Amino acid sequence: MKDFRSLKVIDLFRGLFERAGVEYPIMRRIVEVKLTMDGRRTPTIFNQQGRKKEKPEENGFMKSLMMYVILSVMLVPIVLFEGNLLFQMSLFFGIVMFIVMTSMISDFSNVLLDVKDKGILLTKPVGKKTISAAKMVHISIYLFFLTAAVALVPIGAGTARHGLLFLLLSLLCLILMDLFIVVLTAMIYYVILRFFDGEKLKDVINYVQIVLSIMIVAGYQVLVRAFSFTAMEISYQAEWWQFLLPPFWFAAPFQLLMGGEKNVYLLAFTALAVIIPLVSIFIYIRVTPAFERNLQKLNSTGGESRRKERIWKQWMAGAICRSKEERFFFRFADQMMRNEREFRLKVYPSLGMAIIFPFVFMLNDIQINSYAHLITTKWYLSIYTAGMMIPNAVAMLRYSGKYKGAWIYQTAPVKSLAPLYSAALKVFIVNLFLPVYLVLSIIFLIMFGIKIFPDLVAAFVASVLFTAICSNFLKGRLPFSESFADANASGGVKMIAAFLLIAVFIGIHYAVTFVPFGVLLYFLVLLGVTAFAWRYAFRTIWDAH
Amino acid sequence: MTIIETHDEIVLSLKDLKKSYGTKTVLQGINLDVRRGQIIGYIGPNGAGKSTTIKILLGLEGDYSGSVEVFGEEISEENIEYKGRIGYVPEIAELYDNLTAKEYLTFVGELYGMEFRKTDLKAKQLMGIFGLEEAYHSRIASFSKGMRQKVLIISSLLHNPDLLFLDEPLSGLDANSVMVFKDILAKLASEGKTIFYSSHIMDVVEKISSRIILLHEGKIAADGSFTELKERNKEGSLEQIFNQITGFNESQKIAEQFVSIVQEV
Repeated sequence: MKDFRSLKVIDLFRGLFERAGVEYPIMRRIVEVKLTMDGRRTPTIFNQQGRKKEKPEENGFMKSLMMYVILSVMLVPIVLFEGNLLFQMSLFFGIVMFIVMTSMISDFSNVLLDVKDKGILLTKPVGKKTISAAKMVHISIYLFFLTAAVALVPIGAGTARHGLLFLLLSLLCLILMDLFIVVLTAMIYYVILRFFDGEKLKDVINYVQIVLSIMIVAGYQVLVRAFSFTAMEISYQAEWWQFLLPPFWFAAPFQLLMGGEKNVYLLAFTALAVIIPLVSIFIYIRVTPAFERNLQKLNSTGGESRRKERIWKQWMAGAICRSKEERFFFRFADQMMRNEREFRLKVYPSLGMAIIFPFVFMLNDIQINSYAHLITTKWYLSIYTAGMMIPNAVAMLRYSGKYKGAWIYQTAPVKSLAPLYSAALKVFIVNLFLPVYLVLSIIFLIMFGIKIFPDLVAAFVASVLFTAICSNFLKGRLPFSESFADANASGGVKMIAAFLLIAVFIGIHYAVTFVPFGVLLYFLVLLGVTAFAWRYAFRTIWDAH
Repeated sequence: MTIIETHDEIVLSLKDLKKSYGTKTVLQGINLDVRRGQIIGYIGPNGAGKSTTIKILLGLEGDYSGSVEVFGEEISEENIEYKGRIGYVPEIAELYDNLTAKEYLTFVGELYGMEFRKTDLKAKQLMGIFGLEEAYHSRIASFSKGMRQKVLIISSLLHNPDLLFLDEPLSGLDANSVMVFKDILAKLASEGKTIFYSSHIMDVVEKISSRIILLHEGKIAADGSFTELKERNKEGSLEQIFNQITGFNESQKIAEQFVSIVQEV
């Protein structure tokens, strides 16, 4: 265990803690242990990169902060441009709150939701006050670094631009905001645990992690374009509905003290910014005992959470699976992929990206020409780029958080495991790719009109073919049989190969649109090739065991 | 409190202990005095309230009625000193497994107010005796079930406690380690330590306990040494006594049902 610099800072307040009745050395030791453990986790923000060989004592959290610093550059223009401070600062606080809160939920939930603590710490002669203080210090350290990473660059820029008062107000408001976020997060957990079981809460946390991962990637896209919208000028007035949005509360003091505008709304917002965090802390302390009692639910598995067998899924399994083995493997893979949080965390973000990708390419065209021009072109072929997510997702099929259960394949008396592969790939297409593709298709049909329907169907068949090709990534590896910890990110090469192949598909498709009945012919040929490829893969790639 | 050096000293005393979760009553009035040097086998069917009793004694559960005295003092949220003389092995291996064995054990030692160096030395020696010196610097997450259990056992004994609560402490240990551990318990008891041993493995409880307490539906259904229980219930083994007292005589019937379902292919 190494010496933590943050703890040396905390040491300065030793007297304060001791006066409050905290056993300082013990508290310090608890926080030290917690920080050590934090350093050994991979933060969600690094999820997409996967893990290389585990390096000893590399603090993932500190590294993830650098990502936030880079992201925070996009906030700089917001605080810099000339305009209404209420608008600017509410935008600023809105984004900062969002980042801090999602990151807090995805990476720090285990501190708020720790059930181990109770068994390990409370059985020792350690006072409750000391334990609470340790928890508080731990959260504070984390929030401090996180908030600093997100706000340092923009606040620095803002101070240079607006002066010292800006710095003071920002620091004060950020502290109040952090208080508010901690209590708000805890309250959300409390409410979820009050009405649902721990599994539900873990699901919620999982989805927040997914959103965070998408946001990080999408954030860079925005970052690139951020500087182009700095010229916006908006006349901006305080209104009643802004009472509902906390970022406005924290932005109000800026307009009040620096913008030179004084009205009832601004005063009220400022009052809320101070009062609500303080009041919520008080409420938090009151409900903590009830919260801790509900936390026990995290350990118990709810008995009644039986999932309904979906009828259409059964029908689907019957329709697209040929053999009995393939059907039960289909059901199995379906349940594995739906239930496993770690799998969702790795794959769902790329689904989000798949929805965004086709539009990213069109956006460029809109910027050059216009929307009216765009819909007369063949840009709908960009729907192929949704397939960019296929290689990564297919490669992920071989991992599972519970990979040790894979012995079941070897001990089961099945002739060939090839149906398992084809079933897993079919589940991937039906459960993950098809929904994304349908959403895109509907949007595209609205944009380009019904005439592109045959093209969309053809492109879908091409995607299925692409999936079969990508199943090469699974060669020699059974689905759900390896630990996610082994997943290394050679994503770059895969992505380039995928991109080239997609470009080929687009090229052919583009060419056939000039031939009469070309798309129909293309579709029929694709259908044949796909059927052949699937059967070929079934015999060669998947039957390797 | 002065420690009186007789084996009659009452280490632990429960009077009319009741506890319920919502409408479900778990403990319906437990009365129990435990004397120094006893090894108590605390047994009962699942859900009888064994773990709840231990959790109350450790201050993990509140909201009970009745009185709980440990080392002659009523326990309360403020009075935590008594925990310094207790060692605890929980049923589920709860530990910070991102830490190495060294980090975890020294941390626990320090929570008990021990010095880092002294704990480190002691922990290392104890790990060595259990044949784990190689693993002392590895993360607990990589340990097998038996190794984790050994770490838990060591962590419960580091501070030389006077009262031990062991909840299924043998799970995952191999036969040789079980033998060593049984001898350790006997030795500790002869040194005047009190051991509260909760388990489902009746053979072990039968052999090591000086007194057996059977909990059934939140009440003490039987209390006495194994010989006493045997005389009272006219059964040969603790397992049979257990079945008799808990009113379970359907094992044959259930087994037959089970096998008949298995055979319907």
